[in-house]
Amino acid sequence: MRIRAQFGIMAALLFATVMVVASAGAQVQNSGASPIALNAALSDSITLTLSGNAVNFTLTGGSANNPGSTGITATTNWVLKPSVNSLKLYAFFSSSTAALSDGAGHNIPSADFQISANGGGFAPLTNTVPFGGANAGLQISSVPIRGYNKTGTNSDLMTFNINLAPLPNLPAGIYTGTLTIQAQAF
Amino acid sequence: MKIVRLFWVVIVGLALTLSAGLASAQALNSGAQTIALNANLAESLSVTLSANTVNFALSAGSASNPGSAGITATTAWTLAPGRTSVGIYAYFASATAALTDGTNNIPSSAFFIADNAGAPAALTNTVAYGGAAAGLKLATVPITGTNRSANHTDAMTFNINLTGGTLPQLPASTYTGTLNIQAQATP
Repeated sequence: MRIRAQFGIMAALLFATVMVVASAGAQVQNSGASPIALNAALSDSITLTLSGNAVNFTLTGGSANNPGSTGITATTNWVLKPSVNSLKLYAFFSSSTAALSDGAGHNIPSADFQISANGGGFAPLTNTVPFGGANAGLQISSVPIRGYNKTGTNSDLMTFNINLAPLPNLPAGIYTGTLTIQAQAF
Repeated sequence: MKIVRLFWVVIVGLALTLSAGLASAQALNSGAQTIALNANLAESLSVTLSANTVNFALSAGSASNPGSAGITATTAWTLAPGRTSVGIYAYFASATAALTDGTNNIPSSAFFIADNAGAPAALTNTVAYGGAAAGLKLATVPITGTNRSANHTDAMTFNINLTGGTLPQLPASTYTGTLNIQAQATP
């Protein structure tokens, strides 16, 4: 009986010793945390590309119908900030009185230059827009910007016409001008 | 005092909010893309006649042999800034044989045109076109800044006078000829 008691004590001590030694060997060692700062900038941007950069017109004196030789597609691509809620495309001249000129004092005003956007009706460039001269512009399109199209693209097909009905006395000549297309997000 | 302080806190807060709003409402523009426009309004000058045939039933030795119909010439133009005048002319190729049967002739001096109800005039002038002394200027239109693209009409009536020279002895026959109408812009 005494021997049995001594054996039990010895066994318990041995078990305790083994457990202490084992727990001492499984202890993890942690370093300090070293942070890495991540900084990813997705800049807002708008790019505009045109399918062509020249349009010719063969004019007929006094005629309302003088179509351009070709249509031009304006493709607008954007990446925008959350605060932006619309993107608009504008066409404009620098001057409403001399959209096209022969350089000798004879002009075709922007009111007689017309654009049809995406198959719509022809409209003259008679509005004041964010760019260009006063009363020398036209809004081509407006795209609402929502959560699903903060990054997006839009195409606008433009066809052109010069209305010479209001200019029956325009002399023969070569009239040149520059039409500018530009987009704005706001 | 506490209320005043609270008031200023609210004002400053509003100002900060507004300025932040303005900053976020800044417009973003694309680059400007240009389209070169080239429009050519070419010079043009045209004459259109209301008809192309006139018949005459002649009476020997008569001064009055009117044409069967009047003809209206419509002259239309689009001209360059340097042009100052448009002339419209009627003419034959030959002064001696305006009309002929192949042997016998009716000279241009016996052929008369009344333009726009004016007095009849013989084709005896040398004009920009046709034979010498075989023409008549129907009209002169000054070109100004107000009519660089415009039109003009000449209503012509015709007569053959068979009283002059040897014409009273003109033999019976069929006489044919070609009268031309042409316009010229100058300079």
